Amino acid sequence: MADTCITCDVAIVGSGFAGSLIANQLSKKGIKVVILEAGPGIQPNINDAMARFYAASAKVPESPYPPDLADDPATVRVGRPTALTLSQSTWQNTSVAYLDQNTDDPNRKTRPFKSTYERLAGGTSHWMGLTPRLVPNDFQMKKAYGAGQPDFPFLDWPISYDTVSPWYEKAEAELGVSADADEQRFAGITFSTPNYAYPMPRIPPSLFDQRVGKAVAQLTEAETQFLGTAAPVTGLRVRSLPAARNSQPYRNRRACAGNTSCIPICPIQAKYDATITLNEATNNGVQLIDHAVASELLVENGSISGINYIKYDEKSGSRVDCAIKAKVYVVAANGIETPRLLLMSRNQIATGIANSSDMVGRNLMDHPQYLTWGLLPDPVFPYRGPLVTSAIGDLCDGAFRSQRAAFRISLGNEAWSATVGGTGGDPQTTTLDFINGLNASGLNKKDFTQLADNSALFGVDLTKTLGGLISRQFRIAFSVEQSPDPDNRVTLSSVKDALNLPRPRIAYDISDYTKRGIVTAFRMKELIFSKLGAIDFTKVAETDPGKFNVDGIEVPLTYGGAGHIMGTYRMGDDPKTSVVNSWLQSHDHPNLYLVGSGTFPSVGTANPTLTLSALALRTTDKIVDVLPSYQ
Amino acid sequence: MDHRRKRNAEGAGPLAQAGEVSRRAMVAGTVAMTAVAAVLPLADTAYAENAEGPDADMMAFLLLSEALTGVSRQTLAPELVESKNKSDILNSDPGVDPINIKDEYFAWIKANDATSSFGKLLQIAKDNHQSLANIVPSVNDSADDMKFLARSIVLLWYLGSWYKPDDLKNKIAKPQVVSPKAYTQGLVWQIAGAHPMGYSNLQFGYWSRDPRDPNRPALFDPAKT
Repeated sequence: MADTCITCDVAIVGSGFAGSLIANQLSKKGIKVVILEAGPGIQPNINDAMARFYAASAKVPESPYPPDLADDPATVRVGRPTALTLSQSTWQNTSVAYLDQNTDDPNRKTRPFKSTYERLAGGTSHWMGLTPRLVPNDFQMKKAYGAGQPDFPFLDWPISYDTVSPWYEKAEAELGVSADADEQRFAGITFSTPNYAYPMPRIPPSLFDQRVGKAVAQLTEAETQFLGTAAPVTGLRVRSLPAARNSQPYRNRRACAGNTSCIPICPIQAKYDATITLNEATNNGVQLIDHAVASELLVENGSISGINYIKYDEKSGSRVDCAIKAKVYVVAANGIETPRLLLMSRNQIATGIANSSDMVGRNLMDHPQYLTWGLLPDPVFPYRGPLVTSAIGDLCDGAFRSQRAAFRISLGNEAWSATVGGTGGDPQTTTLDFINGLNASGLNKKDFTQLADNSALFGVDLTKTLGGLISRQFRIAFSVEQSPDPDNRVTLSSVKDALNLPRPRIAYDISDYTKRGIVTAFRMKELIFSKLGAIDFTKVAETDPGKFNVDGIEVPLTYGGAGHIMGTYRMGDDPKTSVVNSWLQSHDHPNLYLVGSGTFPSVGTANPTLTLSALALRTTDKIVDVLPSYQ
Repeated sequence: MDHRRKRNAEGAGPLAQAGEVSRRAMVAGTVAMTAVAAVLPLADTAYAENAEGPDADMMAFLLLSEALTGVSRQTLAPELVESKNKSDILNSDPGVDPINIKDEYFAWIKANDATSSFGKLLQIAKDNHQSLANIVPSVNDSADDMKFLARSIVLLWYLGSWYKPDDLKNKIAKPQVVSPKAYTQGLVWQIAGAHPMGYSNLQFGYWSRDPRDPNRPALFDPAKT
């Protein structure tokens, strides 16, 4: 063990949502907390990040944040996967992509894990801000839908919706959620507090949301039988999505002004991000050590006795080996970096820390996104408002879950910005098409335009054409439940980062159960598009390494990443099949807590942040209770 | 036409013009020092000929840009004060507005014009300053180098990004955002009734309503096509 630099009551690795919420709650009780953050610390303001974002030619989620996207990950001290490293030519090239996605198993074809993440303090600022709750059956898939299926892949959570419900309310207060409680009562959702009201009124629907609402109202029972829901289709509604986005001033932050860049950065912090809680925590006395990479957890008599970490200097490249000693340890470093740290800690226990179940790193899940896009007959004026304001959530639960994956349908206000090829997405791609006579968007070869290749529009012809097309664009994404699979796995790669630490290696695929969900999403897309009177432009690139074909469907299907990294240190009552208990406490090491969405045994279809925040607050109470026993 | 003729109005040389810009800059309240350099006359270049006056090149650029982009010169240069005499439009005052993106673009194009086509495009605008409708047909009849630079210029106004004419010719898309400010001034967003993603001056809830304001005509109204 390196020289002990620091001692404290609770040491936390990672300053994202879970880490900062726990730190802040503990600091209010006078508990001495230190956070190790691998990335740069909290910046005094977001001006640099905004300038980087504006100047980026590819406005991908990572664009406002360091390091530079083009850097070889072997030369980066604190690496991260980025959207630009997911193409066919790069996703398995470890001199471009941080994650090693090569497979050494000749019997197993793998597909790309398409989600990315940040490593700087509060890097979760590039989340969408959506905060729906899981629904009751998401916690008990096996009990509700696994009868008579011995191989049903799902494992029930060790806690129920009713246990988590009061913590949802606390998390909704911390993050500042805007939603309408009555509108959210579907798929079994109830509220613990009678007459519960969310902290703020709901976010109003966009013009496109309103249009889809009218289309959905036309659906008939006959044409929706393929969904396999027992509930009548007349109950299907477009609902405003709960979001940690201010609909009025809340906790000294202003109301959303619809800048349409929730991902990657809200210019006015109307959307909650972890730096808000982190600033409060450091004001309360929490010590945040940035540029500090945890490299090994140490064990003594079955308990964690310290964390070795590397303090590095960005400019000089110098590094100092340090250690921290605490009574209780919390690892809050996300679904890939947390298992990486546990597996790297193998000097004392060869299989890694907290891994007697061999479940650390296994069951990696995402919410595979089936992304579709089209053109409406008349304008709905996209590229305005929050990226997403409404969704169809009602299809997230039903008897069909015994056979195929559920999905939620998210309605985008950012239209084709992340759908069409070309550099920078739309409106750049379509603009270039009509100025330079190209057709990357697909719009330059339809009946309403008759351009020969490589001709250009100028003047009013150009404004009319672009204005008429871009204002009619839309996208709909189907967020699909992924079933757990122990072979979808994070392990350690032989390739290293610039601190000489092994980078994460990923093996990933989607199951037939999940694919059947995507197939149903495809059918629902066809139906909704026809009700909208829309022209379909959805296209799966020939070179997409995730694409797959299904009998009876003429086009290939695929999936994208949701940025939801889940399942890799799951909770359960049985130490043989799970890593932590319902308090997110390690079965193996009682003073170690592993928090975040890596604890989810199954993932439902709700964006994970609210649930992981609720669980983190619940864990905080447990830590406060047990701390006096560690003297 | 002889493009090599020396500039004949000595009094309107670089120093006098810089002084003029500074005065306007103070009036406008704010402008970067670089703006002064950006509008210096193009002395000793192929397009230095401008008997019309100190801002003739900028005015030609605005007329050219208006014709190519389909967006009015008053929108491209909000502080533009036009000469009262229509035939004397090249002698107008292009003005200095707080954002002044036109100067940034002018300087950028001048610095990145690898085929010496910019002056020739400006000359088309000058030659047609009394028949603006002829600018686009003349550009379409011009040499490839000029046509592709014209496309680069439209993309610059629409997206704030520079697509090299040579890349356009080869159907390559390798844009470079000219500056953070340029991104926020991209016209295509307004043309579509929107705003650049991450740059909006609107208020909570606007997205629930139609952006077309009957009291303020938009750059473009899709309903009128």
